[in-house]
Amino acid sequence: MNDLDFAVKFPFTEQAKDIIKELGVELNEMTVSKAVERIKSCLGGNGKKSIALHESEKIQEIASYAAARILLGYMQNRYLTNKFAVAESKIMASLLDKQEEINGLEEFFKIKKIEEENKIYLSLPSFLKFAPKSIEYKIINRQLKKGKVLINHREEIRIIEEAIRKYLEKIPRVTNPSQSIKNAETELKELLPKIEPQKMSLQPGDNPPCIEKIMERLVKHENLSHQERFFLGTYLVNRGMKLEKIVSLYENLPDFDERITTYQIEHIIKRGYVAPSCSKILSYGLCCADCRIGNPLNWRSKSPSKAEGPLNWKSRKQDKKESGDNE
Amino acid sequence: MNEFIIEKFREYYKNADLDILKPEEREFGIGNKKKIDARHLSFNSIDEFRLYLVSNTPLFTSHSTAYYRYPNETPIERKGWKGADLVFDLDLHADGKYEVYKKLENVKEDAIRLIEEFLIADFGINKKNILLVFSGNRGYHIHVREEEFLELRSDERKEIVDYVQGTGLDYRNFFTREEIPGKKVEKLKGPKPNEDGYRGRFARAVIKKITNDPGSISRIFKNEESQREIFTKGIEGGNWSKTRVEKIIERLEIIAKDLPLKSVETDTGVTQDISKLIRVPNSIHGETGLIAKVVKNIDSFDPLRDSLLKSNGEIKVRFNEDVPELEMGAETLSFKKDEIKEIKDSVAIFFILKGSATII
Repeated sequence: MNDLDFAVKFPFTEQAKDIIKELGVELNEMTVSKAVERIKSCLGGNGKKSIALHESEKIQEIASYAAARILLGYMQNRYLTNKFAVAESKIMASLLDKQEEINGLEEFFKIKKIEEENKIYLSLPSFLKFAPKSIEYKIINRQLKKGKVLINHREEIRIIEEAIRKYLEKIPRVTNPSQSIKNAETELKELLPKIEPQKMSLQPGDNPPCIEKIMERLVKHENLSHQERFFLGTYLVNRGMKLEKIVSLYENLPDFDERITTYQIEHIIKRGYVAPSCSKILSYGLCCADCRIGNPLNWRSKSPSKAEGPLNWKSRKQDKKESGDNE
Repeated sequence: MNEFIIEKFREYYKNADLDILKPEEREFGIGNKKKIDARHLSFNSIDEFRLYLVSNTPLFTSHSTAYYRYPNETPIERKGWKGADLVFDLDLHADGKYEVYKKLENVKEDAIRLIEEFLIADFGINKKNILLVFSGNRGYHIHVREEEFLELRSDERKEIVDYVQGTGLDYRNFFTREEIPGKKVEKLKGPKPNEDGYRGRFARAVIKKITNDPGSISRIFKNEESQREIFTKGIEGGNWSKTRVEKIIERLEIIAKDLPLKSVETDTGVTQDISKLIRVPNSIHGETGLIAKVVKNIDSFDPLRDSLLKSNGEIKVRFNEDVPELEMGAETLSFKKDEIKEIKDSVAIFFILKGSATII
């Protein structure tokens, strides 16, 4: 049953919904407990591939996805939802091996693909909507011709993964679910990080706008691009933040992996990387203000006393005047 | 405000060709003291909007680039956003009140490049979905109404702005060095003029520069025609090593620098802002009395001639400051402080609104 296998792999599609509807699958205790397992394995960072063999198991599998969505919709917890979206989309993308599956998902997400002379192109709007936000996917670095962006097979899969992630991050609110969902909520709540790890000693205004914007996204558990992570890491290291503290900050990331993060931050420290210059930040597309400070690290060094944080223009002028008076 | 000016505006609006796609889905704004004093207005048809303009006659009128389900709902989240035109604002800043009007030709060139090189050639947008409008003051607005682009969100529009402005563009990445077997020198491979996007544009610009202004690259090119020919011929085939000019890539930086469009306004985020209000095409700009005219033929379009309101004769004005020489309505005008003069009412409005003249 081809449709069933497709639906198990990609349980958000119409095919999956049809199966659930047709068979009148109910949300029983077992489905909910499977949903909890599904979310738990995403919290571990990797998710779990389906090993369902029999038809009834496969249907359970689809139902567990649906129940997980209801549960997440009821909890409305960004941390959980984004963890789920990142881990599940990674697994689903890894399962994409048949061309017809790729085409099926592209149709679902309305990704407009054009194939010419054995080359794959996406329409510019489709590319803009679903390409990951990193420097190699900026259109200025791509071959762009008459509204078509050239991509390769690997990138095509990556773009579909991104489309799935975005889709899974959007979660409709569920207000009055069954008792079993309410019980599951209690169980999952236990697993949430006890102290929200995003507490920063750095106050708003202490950092340049580009950094603040990234931090804001980070505490909202949004998925940062590689460039954003690297930039933030070098910035914080150079500002003297301790390794453990930076790693705990990165715990907010939906695909957080302590080992990899620790390794990368240590690497920044060992190599003595300085934060990228403003012009680099601009070329990454991460600049969001015209501060004219050359390097984001200069944001603070403008102030005479590091303890006081950034000075506004008025107080700097006053400083000048005072020193003038002394002469 | 001056009754004479309001009367001129009103007379214009009675028959103005207001070019608004789906007016019933747009939010409208009007202004007198500022460009927008009130917004969240909505009109069911162009006629209804016209009636409003004729009876209320504001100095400024704008509509949303966005299409909404409920355009007059507030706050904006409740309007039901359906999509938005992709809009570019090209303008110019210059010192002095009138300097900018002498440079409008430069903005026009950028507008043509934006449409032809970027929107049509690179983005594949159909020409019939592009509306070019004089802003009524310092530049041009370009409205793109291509279906697939309407639903792009702010971040995705920012990518388009980055592309047009050349953010992150490094022309040195166009080149690769390749060893030639048995030879000491390397072959410098680079873009060909028939390529798409920035690569092709760069190659074409270099050939043009070498042909028209070779001295700006190197004295060798200036003095030796054969050197120019050999080099440009090489470029046609993607071979950039056919010259003895040293550090050729570095020398071409001045050309790369001019490829992106610098006059696309991004400080105010017009393109990224998906709930922006923009001047209604063919409405009047309240700071100049010029029509924000929909441009049909850009090559022959002269904003200070073709955007004037219809004249009903001359009126007498006194100038309270010097006005430097300005080409306006096919005449060259200049005025001295305290000069009293009878001039066409359509031209007088411009100087009155600019604060240089008063009716006497």
